[in-house]
Amino acid sequence: MSARGLDAIALAVLHHRLAAIADEMGVVLGRSSFSPNIKERHDFSCAIFDPRGRMVAHAAHVPVHLGSTPLSVRAALSAFRLAAGDVVALNDPYAGGTHLPDVTLVAPAHDARGRLLGFVADRAHHADIGGMSPGSMPLAREIYQEGFRMPPVRLVRRGMVDRDVLALFLANTRVPEERRGDLDAQRAALATGGRRVRELAAAIGPAHLQRGMAALQRYTARLIATTLRALPHGCYTAVDVLDDDGLDTRDVAIRVAITIRDGRALVDFTGSAPQVQGSLNANYAITLSAVFYVFTALAVEPIPANEGLLERIRVVAPSGTVVNAEFPAAVAGGNVETSQRIVDVLLRALAKAAPRRIPAASAGSMNNVAVGGFDPLRGRAFSYYETVAGGAGGGPSGRGASAVQTHMTNTLNTPIEALETYYPLRVERYAIRRRSGGAGRHPGGDGVVRELRFLADADLTLLTERRRRGPWGLAGGATGSAGRNLLAHRGRWRVLPGKVNLRVRRGDVLRVETPGGGGFGPRPRRSRRSPR
Amino acid sequence: MFVHKVLSTPDDPARAVLAGLAALFSNGPAGRITYGSTVATNALLQRRGARVSLVATAGFEDVVEIGRQARPELYTLEPRRPAALVARADRIPVRERVEFDGRISVALTTRELRALVRRVRARRPEAIAVALLHAYATPRHERAIGAALRVLGVPISLSHVLVREPREYERTSTTVINAYVAPLMTRHLTRLAAVKRGGTRLLVMQSNGGAVAPRRAAAEPMRTVLSGPAGGVVGAVGIARRAGVRRVLTLDMGGTSTDVALVDGDVPRRSEWELDGMAVRLPVVDIHTVGAGGGSLARVDAGGVLRVGPESAGADPGPACYGRGTRATVTDANLVLGRLDPASFLGGRMRLDVRRAHDAVAEVARRLGVDVDTAAEGIVRVANAAMARALRVISVERGHDPRRFALLAFGGAAGVHACELAAELGMREVLVPRHPGLLSAFGMATAPIARDRVVTVRAIDPEPAALARRLETLAAGVRAELRADGVGDGHLLASGFARIRYVGQSHEIEIPLTPDYRRRFDAAHARLYGHASPTRPVEVLGLRVTVSERDVVSRPRRPARRRAAPPPHALEDVVWHRRRVRVARYARDLLPPGTVLRGPALLLEYSSTILVAPGWRAVVDAESNLRLTR
Repeated sequence: MSARGLDAIALAVLHHRLAAIADEMGVVLGRSSFSPNIKERHDFSCAIFDPRGRMVAHAAHVPVHLGSTPLSVRAALSAFRLAAGDVVALNDPYAGGTHLPDVTLVAPAHDARGRLLGFVADRAHHADIGGMSPGSMPLAREIYQEGFRMPPVRLVRRGMVDRDVLALFLANTRVPEERRGDLDAQRAALATGGRRVRELAAAIGPAHLQRGMAALQRYTARLIATTLRALPHGCYTAVDVLDDDGLDTRDVAIRVAITIRDGRALVDFTGSAPQVQGSLNANYAITLSAVFYVFTALAVEPIPANEGLLERIRVVAPSGTVVNAEFPAAVAGGNVETSQRIVDVLLRALAKAAPRRIPAASAGSMNNVAVGGFDPLRGRAFSYYETVAGGAGGGPSGRGASAVQTHMTNTLNTPIEALETYYPLRVERYAIRRRSGGAGRHPGGDGVVRELRFLADADLTLLTERRRRGPWGLAGGATGSAGRNLLAHRGRWRVLPGKVNLRVRRGDVLRVETPGGGGFGPRPRRSRRSPR
Repeated sequence: MFVHKVLSTPDDPARAVLAGLAALFSNGPAGRITYGSTVATNALLQRRGARVSLVATAGFEDVVEIGRQARPELYTLEPRRPAALVARADRIPVRERVEFDGRISVALTTRELRALVRRVRARRPEAIAVALLHAYATPRHERAIGAALRVLGVPISLSHVLVREPREYERTSTTVINAYVAPLMTRHLTRLAAVKRGGTRLLVMQSNGGAVAPRRAAAEPMRTVLSGPAGGVVGAVGIARRAGVRRVLTLDMGGTSTDVALVDGDVPRRSEWELDGMAVRLPVVDIHTVGAGGGSLARVDAGGVLRVGPESAGADPGPACYGRGTRATVTDANLVLGRLDPASFLGGRMRLDVRRAHDAVAEVARRLGVDVDTAAEGIVRVANAAMARALRVISVERGHDPRRFALLAFGGAAGVHACELAAELGMREVLVPRHPGLLSAFGMATAPIARDRVVTVRAIDPEPAALARRLETLAAGVRAELRADGVGDGHLLASGFARIRYVGQSHEIEIPLTPDYRRRFDAAHARLYGHASPTRPVEVLGLRVTVSERDVVSRPRRPARRRAAPPPHALEDVVWHRRRVRVARYARDLLPPGTVLRGPALLLEYSSTILVAPGWRAVVDAESNLRLTR
């Protein structure tokens, strides 16, 4: 089946149908879940796969899941031969996962005659998965400390939940009731997806569906090829660094060489720093996601997200490095922080190939805040996690947006009025961090200032980046302001490290100031130097 | 029905309305005039509203700009967000704080209040929005600020009055939008109030499908922003009821987009939506919009696949067949396929250029490597796929089986697509009302006077009786307001709803408030999401009451006697599944009630064209609706 002729029309129609199914799965998951991470912040994705386990449609709210979802289905399929009614659960970053809080469920879709039509999967960030600190984003040295690790296991066998597996899982998390509700929601989304795939196959015929799934992947490969052909041939290199690994204070370098040739790209991370002691290690899935994100965003057309992305882009990430960590390295921060830096370094390299398309660096950190402990007001344990937006980089087409999630994340905030109702926390300030964007012809967007007062003693973990050096400007634009974390104890403020775990007291106030975006182009001469 | 059209007067929209009414009054006075307009909507979209000062709890002035901190498009290197309606310098902090449980932790002092008035006055605002944290729980500070700022003599919008619910961004955004359009709407509606003559009563259409007195509309103009499409759905409900059909999916296909809604006996409503990237939290008719319409452009993308929309040829240049554009649209494809009549478009006032349409579609065909008819049918199929997706979103995704619904098609372009869309969704009946282009106006003219009010509750597993008591208090307040507007109690009907979720969830489902609300909630949760937990405690977040006039349900007319169709006025070819089929053409207005005809047939009328597809049968019913079945 080619993209020419009638099939080009049938393909457009099928794309609508499959994308709609993935969207619908997302609606079911988001609305019926219990974690604030899932229901309020939309930290989840849903996807559909062909019978060989290749992704054909993906409804993502967070790009970091883009390249990693296919790997989780692959892991599930290599572990089991799945029967109708089975559901596999996994979160092991070394077997198809990303970081431990992201729990993925995979189920096959069979038709009434037992023929395999494909697979459906969903991945959601659970608010807590055990481990050494509430929120399960600790400053760990090895994965065992980060939480409960699940290789692919059959959570459901032929429609019956395996109570042993479920009990084992729930016993290792801090808020088991919430986990159970979230897993129910994830299963409901899979059931919906499976049902719709069956209906679609019945409507258009299973053979047509299979051919269409294959054609969709080829279509995406063609769109990527067109995008790559629009870039000049050559090899483009860049380097950028992480502030530190959370345990010492040394730069962690990420290097890339992107070779563009004949509608293909080779993205080679050879030369990047060895894996680190702390949790800033990315596994291969994360690195793949960052690469896919950049090329998808660079594309000339909206690209259907599917396995076709893999056809034209080869990613080389030597194992044992910070971009492809080996077991048992800790990885919680790789997903949220290193992924952003991988995007920065890719954009820095591509700016040399397409200077009129690439913006200056954005905030470059998800500014992760995790708080947990016992809430004496409500008489229960609590675990709260949020990410704080920053400034987008100024770009060729205009100034950077302020207070916005950039690149690998797009999670919503938790409304203050909801947060204060459910947690022993009080927000004291939530404001634009004025003049934090880098100056330039098109200035970077401003970051955010957010202050949280603790109404109970609690355990606090910060996982933040761009605290030592701000996001870089481009084409003569200035660097954006670096972020800062501060804590007030009895009215006295002190600066906290970018990555820290500590015990806070009732009445303490945390202030997170997130980085502004880098500026683009030289600042016009008449304007004053913008104050910092 | 009497139709009179006048040209709009954008500099002063009221002038055109007054001119139109003068012409209507020459036929004698009217009992009731319901006015619907896009004045507020356009002011918002074109950023031509008032200079607004926003008063917010100190430390939270930027909530209106930060929003939910997400970008609208996921895969973009340079994210853009629409500019906030209030400039940073016009956001005025005030020292005060209310906690989530309604307790005041930082009291608003008279000194702070005096300073605030000075600061706001210095900004010379044309309107003021006040949105304080947790004001839904304790509105005392908002009220005090509202009272103190009255000396400035500009419209003041208080967040707790508009949205009595938590979520600071959504409430603030709604309040700011209200303030932004308030001065304009007040002026506009004051001008219109001049039309009152004799016993004529002027009402203003709201986005929730009800009508209110002009002074209420002027105070809360936000509630009128979606009144146009709401009128269409209200009209559809009226048509369906009179036709004896309970469940319909409405399909309003226009030039650039298509609106769809699900009607299960009543006008569907929801309480949150977005306008140009800004959150709005007020009850509106639940309409889903998709960027596919008659003017949607077709193109072949870099991967060789046909795309239709969301880019549109708009009014200028318009579809190629209008004579100025060169790129193919859905309308051009329909014309090439013989599904539109070039000579009778808009009653023959505009002749469509078949040659141009053919050339435009031929370009798409060349790039696809197929013949022109195949390309044209492809354009229609892809547009239909987008519309079918929208219809699935409002039905299948919400636990309704579209096969149990009829498709009610209106708006200029829907009649040509309705049969194919219905077949795609397994639906067996299509209903096309008389004057399909005027359904929105018809809906407004018949919209009941209605107001709704929402209150926050936050109770876990509350007793139904306690909820009923709170609802009655709420309803009494609304009744009093309507009485003040001159609507007698005897004609009013209150209906109550509760917004419920399982403890720990954050999205509520709205359920009619009955003694067995709990059972209904579990059932609705299972229908929507496929699972329910009848033993898990539930939390009631809020109550909504809608008080409206009782419907005057007119009895359906007796069915007309069946009669055969008159001879068609022409026979022309239509392309159907890549074959040319001889199709009879009729002028719809010449088909009397009772007429039965078999597809394929093309029915032409002033504002639309209806394709009775092969395999479908059409009957003109006693109300002159066209009912198509297969």
